[in-house]
Amino acid sequence: MTQVTGNATAGGDKPSRLRVSSAARWGGLKAGERRVGLLFLAPALIAFATVIAWPFLRALGYAFTRYDLQTPVPRFIGFDNFRMILSTPEILGSFVTTGIYVGLATGFTVLLGFAWAMILNQPFRGRGAIRAISLIPWVLPSTVSAFVWGWIFNSRYGLLNALFLELGLIDHPTAWLSTPNGAMAAVVVTKVWLSIPLFMTFFLAGLQSLDREQIEAARVDGAGNWPVLRDHVLPHLRPVLLVVIVLGVIGNLQHFDTIYALTGGGPVRATAVLSIEVYRRAFDQWDTGLASAIGLLWVATILPAAAYYLRHLLRGV
Amino acid sequence: MLDLSSPSARVVFTLVLGAIALFLFFPIYWLTISAFKGNAELYRIIPTLWPNAPVLDNFVTAFGRGRLLDQLRNSLVVSGSAAALNTMLAMYAGYSFAKFRYAGRRWTMLLLLSAQVFPFGLLLISLYPLVTELGLIDTHLGLTLSYIVFALPVSTYMLYSYFTQVPSELIEAARADGAGELRIFHTIVLPVSVPALVTVFLYGFMWSWNDLLYSLTLIVSEDKRTIGPGLLLSYLNEVNADWGGAMAASLVASSPIVVAFAFLQRWFIQGVTAGAVK
Repeated sequence: MTQVTGNATAGGDKPSRLRVSSAARWGGLKAGERRVGLLFLAPALIAFATVIAWPFLRALGYAFTRYDLQTPVPRFIGFDNFRMILSTPEILGSFVTTGIYVGLATGFTVLLGFAWAMILNQPFRGRGAIRAISLIPWVLPSTVSAFVWGWIFNSRYGLLNALFLELGLIDHPTAWLSTPNGAMAAVVVTKVWLSIPLFMTFFLAGLQSLDREQIEAARVDGAGNWPVLRDHVLPHLRPVLLVVIVLGVIGNLQHFDTIYALTGGGPVRATAVLSIEVYRRAFDQWDTGLASAIGLLWVATILPAAAYYLRHLLRGV
Repeated sequence: MLDLSSPSARVVFTLVLGAIALFLFFPIYWLTISAFKGNAELYRIIPTLWPNAPVLDNFVTAFGRGRLLDQLRNSLVVSGSAAALNTMLAMYAGYSFAKFRYAGRRWTMLLLLSAQVFPFGLLLISLYPLVTELGLIDTHLGLTLSYIVFALPVSTYMLYSYFTQVPSELIEAARADGAGELRIFHTIVLPVSVPALVTVFLYGFMWSWNDLLYSLTLIVSEDKRTIGPGLLLSYLNEVNADWGGAMAASLVASSPIVVAFAFLQRWFIQGVTAGAVK
């Protein structure tokens, strides 16, 4: 296993004689170690409590209150916000839209990210250069990614229109972002485009720890590309694949920036995923109570993936 | 790994390579050349694949009317401080998790890492009133502090993985010499961890530089805007979309982060994949 992949399991230091310095040892070695450990942890813990835990708990509380422009002080209303959600088809529709968006974006990114990693794992002329520029889509500011694809999908002068006109697929320029399917396609394509580099990176790291001799042996036995892929590469990548899918689902469930910049959730509500829905309720309509309730259900959709991911990160800790 | 000795395998390989490369890189090429096209060339149904009459008008617009310089400076201040703060918090916490054993360590780590999976949008709902109560709404300080949300969990984990690899003997030898814990960390552990620290700094910097959601919400005044909402609100209104200006400003706004990655890419990839791939 390479340096890249072996880190996390090395956590179990064997107990040694000098676990803390002499100055920190009062009250016993163990107490000393705890004290020093907690001291190092304190700044991050305070920051975590202030900007993450406390806001989260507050949002949890808001979900059970009426808290909007007419009600400047939150008032407890029990489950009314959740009843409201269940009886509002537009909000329920957001869950469906989110499912479609996350499914499409994650699926295509995994597929293309894997293909790209397989390609870049193969020696060919210019590979180094291509690897080096492959990360660019991922590091661009969200607004820039949205501009790039907004321009390509432009209703009149976009590259996509030009391409389809030349190919004879359409007769006149189409306003893609104004049609429900076109808008969904645009936000998915944008997210897939900017996520492929990261997924490729994970797959490539996984591929590098593959046992080459095993594959050579399979080749000698006459195995073609497909059997090698199916019987050796994919089984080896299974753990990476799971992590990548989970990370992809978490990331796509959360994603806001490029969708907001490209379509703002429209046309009408065609791309109003949960992140957009919560943002609109909270910061356009200033209905903090309802927004928090939707947000809480949103967290619930992330939880299964999150639990898997955290267990994976913390194995061996 | 793949056997490309047969012509058909080579053809498929080349086709897939070409298709994905086109999808990944052509948009970047398109962004770049569009920035150098004048309006006459930009607004054509069938566009030119190369700027026949390259102009710098769009850059002039971007720097002049677009307040690009202000936005870049604001972004630099906010992202730089957010990244520094994030690195500092993460390095102490990561060291604590990596080199000390105490009750509750695993649980604290779980708690801290779990923050990565809370939707940023949900946290923003209650961060907003909190930031307002503290009088930090529409300030760079408020935005900087809020950015801890994005990067702290992963940064802590990246540094934790790195510090577990620092030999404990190194630390114990210093203890035997009577050095204090803080001094050991600052003078022995940190100097051998520069690559990891740089990676984590860059990671935090990238999150804040590229963000739209938080900067759009927590900053109101035009003169305090960072590039994310700055670009969006300057160029993409339905009445008057200036795509040439948008492309030019995008090129300028992306260049710092792209250049930083060009230099630090290898370290960065190791840091990001640590732990997640196994």
